Amino acid sequence: MAVKGRHWVAFWLIALLAALWAVIARQTAALNAARALTDLREERSALEGRRADLDRRVRTAQSRAVLLPRAQRQGLRLPADTEIILLPVTPPR
Amino acid sequence: MAKPLVRLRVVQIGLAAALAALMVRAGQVQLVEGRRYAAAAAAQRTERVVLEARRGALYDRHGIAIALTQETYHVGIAPNELRDARRDAAFLARQLRVAPGDLDRALRRRYAWFAGPFTAQDVQPLRGLRGVHLEPVLRRFYPSAELARAVIGRVGDDGRGGSGGGGGLERLLDSLLAGTPGAAVVLKDREGREYESPARLIAEPVAGHDVVLTLDAELQEIAQRALDDALDHMQAEGGDVVMLDPATGEVLAVASRREGGSMRPSAFTETFEPGSLAKIFAAAALITHDRVRPTERVSGEGGRYRLPDRVVTDEHPLPTLTLADAIRVSSNIALVKFAARLRPDEQYGMLRAFGFGAPTGVEFPAESPGRLRPPREWTRPSSASLAIGYELAVTPIQLAAAYGAIANNGVLLQPTLIREVRAPDGAVLYRHRAEPVRRVVTSQVAAKLRDLLRGVVEAGGTAERAALANFQLAAKTGTARRVVGGRYAPGQYTASFAALFPADDPQLVVVMKIDNPQKGSYFAAQTAAPVTRSMLEQALAARTVAIDRARLSNVAPATERAPLEEPDGFVPYVVPWPYVRDSGQVQAARTVPDVTGRPLREAARTLHRRGFHVVVKGWGVIHHTWPAAGESAPTGSTVTIFAEPRP
Repeated sequence: MAVKGRHWVAFWLIALLAALWAVIARQTAALNAARALTDLREERSALEGRRADLDRRVRTAQSRAVLLPRAQRQGLRLPADTEIILLPVTPPR
Repeated sequence: MAKPLVRLRVVQIGLAAALAALMVRAGQVQLVEGRRYAAAAAAQRTERVVLEARRGALYDRHGIAIALTQETYHVGIAPNELRDARRDAAFLARQLRVAPGDLDRALRRRYAWFAGPFTAQDVQPLRGLRGVHLEPVLRRFYPSAELARAVIGRVGDDGRGGSGGGGGLERLLDSLLAGTPGAAVVLKDREGREYESPARLIAEPVAGHDVVLTLDAELQEIAQRALDDALDHMQAEGGDVVMLDPATGEVLAVASRREGGSMRPSAFTETFEPGSLAKIFAAAALITHDRVRPTERVSGEGGRYRLPDRVVTDEHPLPTLTLADAIRVSSNIALVKFAARLRPDEQYGMLRAFGFGAPTGVEFPAESPGRLRPPREWTRPSSASLAIGYELAVTPIQLAAAYGAIANNGVLLQPTLIREVRAPDGAVLYRHRAEPVRRVVTSQVAAKLRDLLRGVVEAGGTAERAALANFQLAAKTGTARRVVGGRYAPGQYTASFAALFPADDPQLVVVMKIDNPQKGSYFAAQTAAPVTRSMLEQALAARTVAIDRARLSNVAPATERAPLEEPDGFVPYVVPWPYVRDSGQVQAARTVPDVTGRPLREAARTLHRRGFHVVVKGWGVIHHTWPAAGESAPTGSTVTIFAEPRP
């Protein structure tokens, strides 16, 4: 069967639509990837912020400024050097 | 009237001319002016944005973060885009911690702007809110704001440690920490708002290098707190503490405070006359040049000795003194008499060799060189003055380095604050090695000097109150008149103390200075010495400070050990072992094994087998290590393992 003019028109139309579809699909995928990336980046940033805040709170809670007054209220004190026993050990092989 | 054929020809020619003109213009627009129009179009719908580089972090020697860069946000609100203005405004006011009235006023404008900066946690609930626009901005964050603040410094408003910054290491290390900003092109609409679109990256931002400092956060806190307490109790004008590892020159702690709480880095930048702390350097010259025999005695002159142009006095006079006695009781008279046997160039040469009159080279901007005049500028009493620590201006870091040379068998090392520089991928770009400046005295002379200093802490010495029962100290007290406005201020003194801990094989040099203590005694023996003792006791009791307890355990006790069960019910503090040295010695590098998820004991054993020392943070199973698994670290260096309870 001979390929007529309208077949060529249909072919090129389909080819054009396919190309357009491919472009749009790529753009959509890129946008979705960009959104996902942004979300992940924001989530990481939020988690980093939370970790830094927790680190800061742990450090503050562990600091001598906080611990020593509380320990003193409990009747605890720092050991004198006579109360520190060091055990002589051979280094691990 | 022309014939139709002619008219048709005219129309044809006209159309052809119009077409030709169109083509010429199209050619002109496309080919000649195409670039200009393309650029104008791109400028209308795209924008080139600078991508900030993350500034490198500062860590202490165990990997504890001292300065970090975090993403924070500015918040913009478009009131006309809000869905429910009243409800959203209340929510925003609560979340941004803004007074509702202030927020209402701001929302009456076309666009409300809150610079903050707000943390990621603050803005997390706002992300889904229509009309709220977040602008990320990197901001410097200091988890322990007051830790070594004077040394670390601060970044300026531009986020850089350069000219706009607050000095300190942030400024000095700016070129290392800053990184390289990147660039990207983003699409924007006709209002200039950015589209949510994949940014076209032109250059990826390169994060700055991380810097591991030599500071030990726990020792630093001990030093700062001890200094604060001492200054408050003694109502002193200011003070400094420097702690140094004499084997490597690494500065473990440096604290400075002035009256009113200001913390300028005076340990590096401000000088003082060291007084009796400098007597050991005169002794070093006397021993090196063989100008005194150990048994040789000079008269104590009843505590008052008249020189041609001044009178020298002793606080605790002895009838006769050897050089060891002179150091033990800090006799000005005996030192002046002994030092008279030195030639000016010998006396000057020894002080110069110990590093006085020149910057130590520590990585700190604006370090003061101190003042040591050459012999040609001396006056008649200069020799006597220098022997007892006057006519000489030094910084605490210079003194620490000089005492470090005595501890380090006579070799002066350059003090340092920087232990490692790491690339963003964790690769180690620089690791500090001990940098000898010169041999100042022979190891035999250094041992003799340590013996002299040991006597200061024994019974009858000026630093008796600094003595520890189980560990021997070698130390020297110094109480010098203060210079204020170029003159000696009546009734004002600087109390200072330098200690080597322990006296045998010292691991720590501590220099403490207290300016003008006004309450109680002003003598260093009653002020700086007991504070130093307290700091050492705290350091011994602390878990992670950079003291090699394995070496300490083999040092002979200063006095008989206290029994394990004290009659008054004290429970002895038993330090867990094995103790390992936080060594800066560089040896062959090895890869840190991955011990994530493994039990603490097993992980420690694995790391020990690989030749690493281990510092444990937390309890349970291993969450991560520092340096991280897969990174290379020298054998003998410390790997910090962070453990978490089992889930």
